[in-house]
Amino acid sequence: MVDFVSPAPAPSTPPATRLTLFTAFLKMGLLGFGGVMPWARRVLVDERRWLTEREFAELLGLCQILPGPNVVNLSVILGARWQGAAGALVALTGILFVPVVAVLLLATFYASVAHSPVAHAAITAASAAAAGLILGTAIRLLTGARPAPHGLAVGGAVFVAVALLHLPLLWVLAVAVPLGIALEWRLRR
Amino acid sequence: MTAPPDVLFEIAWRFASLSLLAIGGINALLPEFHRVVVDVEGWMTSAEFADLFALAQLAPGPNAMVVSLLGWKVAGVPGAFVATVAACGPSSLLCYFTMRRFERMKRAHLRALIQRALAPVAIGLVLASGYTLAQAADRSLVALALTAAATAAIAFTRVNPVWVLAAAALVGVSGLA
Repeated sequence: MVDFVSPAPAPSTPPATRLTLFTAFLKMGLLGFGGVMPWARRVLVDERRWLTEREFAELLGLCQILPGPNVVNLSVILGARWQGAAGALVALTGILFVPVVAVLLLATFYASVAHSPVAHAAITAASAAAAGLILGTAIRLLTGARPAPHGLAVGGAVFVAVALLHLPLLWVLAVAVPLGIALEWRLRR
Repeated sequence: MTAPPDVLFEIAWRFASLSLLAIGGINALLPEFHRVVVDVEGWMTSAEFADLFALAQLAPGPNAMVVSLLGWKVAGVPGAFVATVAACGPSSLLCYFTMRRFERMKRAHLRALIQRALAPVAIGLVLASGYTLAQAADRSLVALALTAAATAAIAFTRVNPVWVLAAAALVGVSGLA
């Protein structure tokens, strides 16, 4: 998986210190307008090169089957992997607790701007773009992780079940996860 | 706002008991949070709940921060922190211990196989959440064009997402969207 063309260091170099870990997760938390996940992919894969595209997609899958917010689980897993229990706390603080302070400050000013038509127009347009951030990230993950045909079929079925048929997520995962693992076991072993 | 300890305790056990059910994130549990804080506890009206949800979507940080705002509404800043820790603590602990076992699993090929199998599931879910958000946000052709442009910018260029969101907001302010 080493990228011989680019002069940048090989992927999957872990962060050197707790401070770099903290600042990376803080950046995801504070810039994560319209969802943190697109920012998590950008910071972890493109900017810091702490994970490859494929490693990110695989970790995200684990985060989604465990209870709790996906990006919060992601920070716990990566913090613990790279810097132990303290690392998990450091990453959590960066992605969750500092942004909570920001959101509380915002909440106190919210009443004064909530009913301004200009703010409303800006927010409506930005949320249309925010949906695009997530769709664009999905395309990047797809081209980066390059699932095998049976993986594409499982991912496509998950999309149809959740987005088009509005089936409950718990049921979809209860079928898709064992099915995906069984297919991987039979076809790629 | 003063926060009597019994209210903080109430928030803590109510939110903590939901934490381990949040498969798919806090958003999957929003109907249950609504039931608890509006119908059962009577801490706020349904409209106030909807306002706080909208605010959490606009704010930076994980969308799960809607629980911090719910706690803030009930019991001020201490309420916000109690709610956040209660809603994310148990699931984070479970995640920490599960993953520690998983990453130390002796059969490395089995671990790799599970991870490979989960990646397409993750991508399908990301695509589904983008699609659902786009359906909710795209009520005009200009909004649809903004979603398409942002999708292309993120998928095929290295432009910073801040500029994508800022450009879209400007289009909105200009009165086009």
